[in-house]
Amino acid sequence: MELNAGTAGTGSLKTASERDEVAALESLQFTDEIRRLMSAPATDNASSFTALLELPAPQAVQLIHSPDSAKLIAAPPPAPNVDDFKGSFNFPFNSGLIERATRFSLFAGDGNINDNNKSNSPEPTSYNSSANLQKPVKSEPTETESYQPLVSDPTVENRSTKRKDREKVKGSTKKSKTGAKDSSDDAQKLPYVHVRARRGQATDSHSLAERARREKINARMKLLQELVPGCSKISGTALVLDEIINHVQSLQRQVEFLSMRLAAVNPRIDFNLDSVFTAESGSLMDSNFSGMVMPMMLPEVQLNGNRQQYPQQLHFDAFQQPVWGTEEVCNNYITPENSLLSYDSSGNSASLHSNQLKMEL
Amino acid sequence: MRPHSSLKQEFLKEWIKGLQRCSFPKKSILERKKAIKLSADIAMASARNGTTCWSRALISSAAKDGSDNNHLVKQILGPESDRPAVENKAPARQASVCKKILKRSCRIRRRGRRKCGAAAAPSSIAKHLVKKRRQILRSLIPGGEFMNEICLIEETLDYITSLRVQVDVMRSLATASVRGTE
Repeated sequence: MELNAGTAGTGSLKTASERDEVAALESLQFTDEIRRLMSAPATDNASSFTALLELPAPQAVQLIHSPDSAKLIAAPPPAPNVDDFKGSFNFPFNSGLIERATRFSLFAGDGNINDNNKSNSPEPTSYNSSANLQKPVKSEPTETESYQPLVSDPTVENRSTKRKDREKVKGSTKKSKTGAKDSSDDAQKLPYVHVRARRGQATDSHSLAERARREKINARMKLLQELVPGCSKISGTALVLDEIINHVQSLQRQVEFLSMRLAAVNPRIDFNLDSVFTAESGSLMDSNFSGMVMPMMLPEVQLNGNRQQYPQQLHFDAFQQPVWGTEEVCNNYITPENSLLSYDSSGNSASLHSNQLKMEL
Repeated sequence: MRPHSSLKQEFLKEWIKGLQRCSFPKKSILERKKAIKLSADIAMASARNGTTCWSRALISSAAKDGSDNNHLVKQILGPESDRPAVENKAPARQASVCKKILKRSCRIRRRGRRKCGAAAAPSSIAKHLVKKRRQILRSLIPGGEFMNEICLIEETLDYITSLRVQVDVMRSLATASVRGTE
């Protein structure tokens, strides 16, 4: 769990006693909620962005994954979870966590900022709890969207840095997102980006914000590099962007070309759609089909992993016929055909089945 | 690619629906091709259900009143309660306003840069190159002009995956229909 990893990582910076006391309490109540939150989006939307991100995951991927999963969380309103957090964490944790926060944060040698921190007591910087503690203070419109992705972070961050009375505190008490384990927790729960000032670099809030933004952009660029074939070996943003542009252009050209080809091949699209359905759905089946179509089909279909089982195909025919008779919508035609054609290896049987289909219809 | 199969299914369904809905002109290849491509694009964009910026921009630009594809688009989208398109009437106008403002600001910025003269430092040259390419990328991706850099890269990612899905499905459709007519 990323949360535990995060707490383990940060714990090294504080005294052991504090860590035990606080982390134990936190872990009890946090991990369940957060585990729930994090597991929920993993099952959603397998087709989209997050599925793409389940590819070999470099650190940067986690950075993107969590905001996306947080996006998906935000769609079903996380308000009850937020309230839970609010209610359960506000009072008991205030003092303990703030102490932890004060020792936690990196100050560029400023002792007075400790005082500032303590005085602005509802202004914690510990990334595990700041979401909860900052909510009552900030009362921002993005409160319920505190789980929102990194994209919203710059806006919130800018808003916060504009408040001049807190600017100094923010600037020096931000923590870096150099580690992915930290960042994933941050992105999940916080409206703020916490960036640690590295050694020898300016602790100005603006430059920190800039750096956070740059890191975000770099992370996403890494993802793009992995997606576009042949980009991972190239170093340098301009060349990578070149490749990406070429790729996008070539894909668009391919779409044009293919649509032209389809227009040429099919003078009467309406007529040929049936045969096209069967054949093309068969070929789609050949390439890759995972859970989407399978659940719609009967469990018997899954028993036959072999493609060469013709007698059982006939069995499927008999089974599928009543289904075809009842369904009118064209997209439902695809799935019964898929069940037949998935175990077809030869084109002959495909055409046979398609003829059967046509006769049925 | 495993994660794409469900996306492919979705795209295929939508596309076929759209194809059947548009009254096929049957006249020239170009018109047919336009119709096919358009329905494919719209299917791809609506498969995203308005979650991404490029999809909304694509649909809204296709559904714009002044465009010549309008009747086709309306046919394709018509019977559906097309949420992405409906939502985008207002944002489209806002988007065009934002576009004008952006263009104006870009022009001003460009003028300012030229006044400063060509910078000799390699880092600024590199930045300039990167900026140029970002501009090109913006022009490629539908609705790219309104996005900041982070959004742009995310949208590119999404757009590339959907384009790939589109190409795969169309290609298999084309080869299958060729096979069928043989």
